[in-house]
Amino acid sequence: MHTTRPCLRTFTLFIASIATLAILSVAAVPISAAETEAELLAVLRSDAPGGEKAIVCKKLAIHGSNSAVPELAKLLSDPKLSSWARIALEVIPGDDADEALRLATQTLDGRLLVGTINSIGVRQDAGAVEILAARLQDNDPDVASAAAVALGRIGNDAATQLLQQALQIASGDVRNAVAEGYLLCAERLHGDDKSGAATEIYDEIREAELPMQRIVEATRGAILSRNEDGIALLMETFRSDDKKLFQLALGTAREFPGGEVDQALAEELTRATPQRAALIVQAMADRTDTVVLDAVLQAAQTGDKQVRGSAIDALKRVGDISVLSPLLTIALDQDAELAQAAKDTLAELPGEGVDAKIVAMLPDARGDSYPLLIDLVGSRRIDAVPDLVRALDHSDPAVRGAALIALGETVSLEKLSLLIEQVVAPKRAEDAAIARQALKSASVRMPDREACAAELASAIGRAPATTKTVLLEILSDVGGTTALQTLATSAKSSDPELQDTASRLLGKWNNLDAAPVLLDLSTTAPAEKYQVRALRGYIGLARKFSMPERNRAEMCKQALEVASRTDEQKLVLEVLKLHPSVAGLKLAIVAQAIPAIKADATAAAADIAQQLRKKGVDVSRLMPGA
Amino acid sequence: MSNEQVKSPTQTPRRGFLKTAAATAGAAIAAPTIIPSSALGLDGAVAPSERVVVGGIGIGRRGGYDLSCFLPQKDVQFVAVCDVKQKRRGEVKKIVDDHYGNQKCATYRDFRDLLDRSDIDAVLIATGPNWHSTAAMTAAKAGKDMYCEKPVTKNIAQSLILAETMRRTGRVFQAGTQRRNLPHFAFACELARTGKLGKLTKVYAHPMGMKALMSGWLGPEPEPDPEVVDWDMYLGPAAWRPFNKKLLDGFNFEKGGGFVGAFSGGGVLEWGSHCVDLCQWAVDDCPPPVQYDPPKDGELVARYENGTELIFREKGWIPLGSCPVRFEGETGWVEAGDSGKMVLSSPELLAGREVAEIGGYPATFHVRDFLDCVKTRRQPKGNADAACNAHIACHAANIALYLDRQVNYDNSTHEFINDEQANRMRSEALREPWRL
Repeated sequence: MHTTRPCLRTFTLFIASIATLAILSVAAVPISAAETEAELLAVLRSDAPGGEKAIVCKKLAIHGSNSAVPELAKLLSDPKLSSWARIALEVIPGDDADEALRLATQTLDGRLLVGTINSIGVRQDAGAVEILAARLQDNDPDVASAAAVALGRIGNDAATQLLQQALQIASGDVRNAVAEGYLLCAERLHGDDKSGAATEIYDEIREAELPMQRIVEATRGAILSRNEDGIALLMETFRSDDKKLFQLALGTAREFPGGEVDQALAEELTRATPQRAALIVQAMADRTDTVVLDAVLQAAQTGDKQVRGSAIDALKRVGDISVLSPLLTIALDQDAELAQAAKDTLAELPGEGVDAKIVAMLPDARGDSYPLLIDLVGSRRIDAVPDLVRALDHSDPAVRGAALIALGETVSLEKLSLLIEQVVAPKRAEDAAIARQALKSASVRMPDREACAAELASAIGRAPATTKTVLLEILSDVGGTTALQTLATSAKSSDPELQDTASRLLGKWNNLDAAPVLLDLSTTAPAEKYQVRALRGYIGLARKFSMPERNRAEMCKQALEVASRTDEQKLVLEVLKLHPSVAGLKLAIVAQAIPAIKADATAAAADIAQQLRKKGVDVSRLMPGA
Repeated sequence: MSNEQVKSPTQTPRRGFLKTAAATAGAAIAAPTIIPSSALGLDGAVAPSERVVVGGIGIGRRGGYDLSCFLPQKDVQFVAVCDVKQKRRGEVKKIVDDHYGNQKCATYRDFRDLLDRSDIDAVLIATGPNWHSTAAMTAAKAGKDMYCEKPVTKNIAQSLILAETMRRTGRVFQAGTQRRNLPHFAFACELARTGKLGKLTKVYAHPMGMKALMSGWLGPEPEPDPEVVDWDMYLGPAAWRPFNKKLLDGFNFEKGGGFVGAFSGGGVLEWGSHCVDLCQWAVDDCPPPVQYDPPKDGELVARYENGTELIFREKGWIPLGSCPVRFEGETGWVEAGDSGKMVLSSPELLAGREVAEIGGYPATFHVRDFLDCVKTRRQPKGNADAACNAHIACHAANIALYLDRQVNYDNSTHEFINDEQANRMRSEALREPWRL
C-alpha cells in the first residue's frame, strides 16, 4: 500500500520551527492577544483556584509572550501546576523560556526535574547541553535518563559527543536511555546527509551490550545509512539466529532504496530455510517497482510447498502476463492447496493483456484447461459471452457448468435472456441447477433491477410449472417494484403452487414497499392460509422496520381491523409493546374492546404506559388512575 | 490462585528493563510463518512457537470489543492485561481465562511491567485517548508491535513523532481504524484512488460534531487507593488535575486537541480519525491538506495541494449509518457508511462486482490484518504513516476551528505558514515523567 510518509527529518524540523518562531514572538501576537495576556497573567498572580490557573496556562500556550515566562516559571516547582506551566513554556518562543527551564533545573529534583528536562529536550535548547551533561551523572536514574534523551533531541556535536562518552560508562536503565538518545543523534545525522557519521554511531550501538530493541534500531540505521553498501549487512541480518533481527530485516528490505537490493533478495531466497524464504518472498513482492519477478516465479513453481504457496500469493501483487502460463499449470497441480492458490492469484493477476490472452486461449483449450480458463473468464469478469455460449454445447458437464457460472458473473442485461433460456428450457436436465444458480447470480448484480425483473417476469408465462417458482424466487432476490407486483399477481393466480411460493416470498419481503401488497392479500388471497401468511408478513414489517411511531400505530390499526384470529391480534399487541408510543398506547386501549384479547390488550396497555413513563411521557390522560 | 502481579506504589520503579530485554537476544528464532491461511493460523491448531503472544493495556468498552476479535484467532495467545482500575483488571482477566479455560492471564497496574515481559510480542492498546500515543511509543521502544485504538494522537507533533518512532523502531503499528479493512469502504476508496470517479474534486467526512471534549479541572474528590484506581497512572501524560470519578470514563477525558474555549477541538478526532482517515485513503494517502478554512454553515473546508477539497460536515447527511463518507470526482461519486451500503453515481462503477455489505463491523478483519503483518512485517492498512496523515488533517482542522480563521499548513516543514498561534498549537507538553 502506498502511504506518503512524513519525511525522516520530521521531528527535527518540527522542533527547529519553535526556535525559529523566537524571532516573531511578540510582534506576531495581535494586540488583542496581548491584552488577553495581561488578564491571564493577573489570574496567575492572584489567589485563584488551581483549576483556573491551569486553564490560564493553556491559553498562554497560544497567547503568552516573554512577559508570561516569569509567572509560568514560578509554577514549575508546583507539583499540581508544573505540567500546566510547561504546556505554555514548551511553546513560547524565545530565550526567556529556555532560560527559565534551565534555571529551574538548578532547584528541582525528582519528577518535576524530569519534566523540566523533557521540556528542554522538546525545545532542543542547545544552550542547555552543559546542564544536561551534569544531569547525565545524576544519582536519580530517571533524571539521568531524561537528560540522555534530551541530549539526543538536541543532537548537536556536543550532545552527540557526551552521549558517546556516556555509553561507555552508563549502566542499567540509564544506559538504555543513553542509547536511545545516541540513536536520535544518528537519525539526525542520517537525515542531514551525514551518513558516514551516522553509520559509526549505529555500529557502536550494535556492538554494545544493550536491550535487543536498541540493537534492532541500530541495525536498521546501520543498513540504511550505508546506502547500497548496506545490502551485505541486510543479508547478514536475514541470516541472524535472532527472530527480532530477522523480522527487522524483513521490514528494512521493504524500505531499502534503489534496485540493487532486489537481486540480493532473490539470491537470499534460495539460501534461506523454507520458513524464512516464505517470508522473504513476501518482502520481495512488496518492492513492486524493482522486484526480480523471475525469482518469485521460480519459487512459485518448484521447491518447498510453503514457499511455493507464499510465492504464488506474492504474484498477485507483482505478476504480469509473463506468469500466466506457469500459473495455469500450477492451477492444475495435483496438490489441491497449491492449485487453489494459483487460481486465486490468476483471478487477480495484474498486467495488461492478461484478459485478452485468456480469451485467446479458449478455442484451443483441452481437458482440464478448458473449464479452468472459463472459470477465469468468470472470476476476472471478462466479456467473452460468445465463447461461453459455445462452451454450453460442450460434451463435458464440467465445461458446461463452468460456462454457466461464468455467464452468471459476466452477462449483461441485454444478454440475460441467454441464461433465462437455460433455466426455462435447459438442453440438458443435469445443467438445470447450475443454470438457476447462474441466473440468480446474474440477476442480483444487474444495475437496472427493474429492467431485469421485467425480463424475468416475462419469462414466467412461458416457463414450465416447476420453473415458474424458480423465477419467482429469483425475482424475490432481485427486489424492486416490478418484482413485488409480479409476486402479488402470482399470489392471486389460480395456480396453487404459485400462490404458495409468492405468498411465502412476500411474507419475507424485506422492506416496507410490500406493506400495501400484503395488507391487500390478507383479505383477497385465494385461500385463508395465504391470507394469514400475508397478514403475518404485514405485522412483521411493522415490527422490524424503523418508522415514525405514528405510522407504525397506523399499520397496527390496519392489521387489527383485518385480523380475524386472536393469534394475529396478539401479534399486533406484541409489536405495540416492542415499540412503545402514545399512538400505540391509544390503539392498545381501543383493542380492549375486542373480547377475545381484552386481557392481553389491557396488559399491553399497562406495559406500554409503564415504558412511556420511564421515558418521562405523561400518560395520565390516557391511563387515568393507573 | 491469583496471578495478580501489581506493584505497590512504594516499590521502586520498574524492574530492570535492560536485563529482561537483553535476555531475548540470544533466543533461538521461532519458525516464522507465511501468508497462506494455514500458516497464518487460520486453519487448524497453531504451534505455540508460531503464536503471537499478546497483552492488553486498558481494556474497557471498546477494548473489550477488540479483545473479542483477538481471542478467537487461533494464532493468538493472550497472556496478560494491564489496567489502572483493579475492577477492570479482574473483569478482563476473567474473560481471557474463561476463553482459555485456565487462570493464566497475568494482571498489571503499570503497563511498563507488562512491556518488560520478553515473551509478549504485541500489545492491544485501548486506554483512553490521552494515553494512546505515549503508550504506543513506549511499547515500540520496548520492542512490541501494537494495535492501538483511535484517536491515536493528541496533536500534530505526536502524530509526526509516532510515525517516526514506528519507522525507527521497526515496529508494526495498526491504528484502530477498522474501516480500512471493510470491503465496501475499501471499494469506495479504490474507486476514488484509481481514477474511476475521474479527477477527485471533493471528499467528504462526517465527524459528527466538532465541539469540545476537553475535560478541564473538575472538583476534587477523595482519591482512591492506587490499588483500586491508580489516578496518577490514569492521568499519565495529561496535565495534573484532582481526582474526580467523572473523569474515569475515557469519553469524559481529553480527546484530540483539548483546546480551551467554546470551539475547543476534540470532537473532530473522535470520528474524524475514522472518516477523515477514509478520505485520506481515497486521496491515496497523500500528505494532508494544506489549507483549512474556519467552519461555516456546519462545514469546514480543507484543501489538498492539488486543489481537491476535504470537507468536514458536522450535521445531517446521507442515510448510510455512522461514519459516512462521500468521494466526488469529475465523472462520478460514491458514498459509503457504517450500514455497509454504498450509493454510487452510476451502477457501472460496480463493473459487475458484488461488494459485501457487512456494515461497520466486525473489526476482526482489521485485527487479522494486524496479526498477519506482525508475522510478515508488512505495513498494515492502518499503519502509522497513514494514521499520522489523517490525524494531522484532523488536528489542523481543530486549530482552524479554535482560531476561527484560515490556517495554511506546509507539509515539508510541518509548520503553519506565518502563523505563530497555530504553530504553538501543534504540540503539548506531557506531564512528568512522561516523554515521547
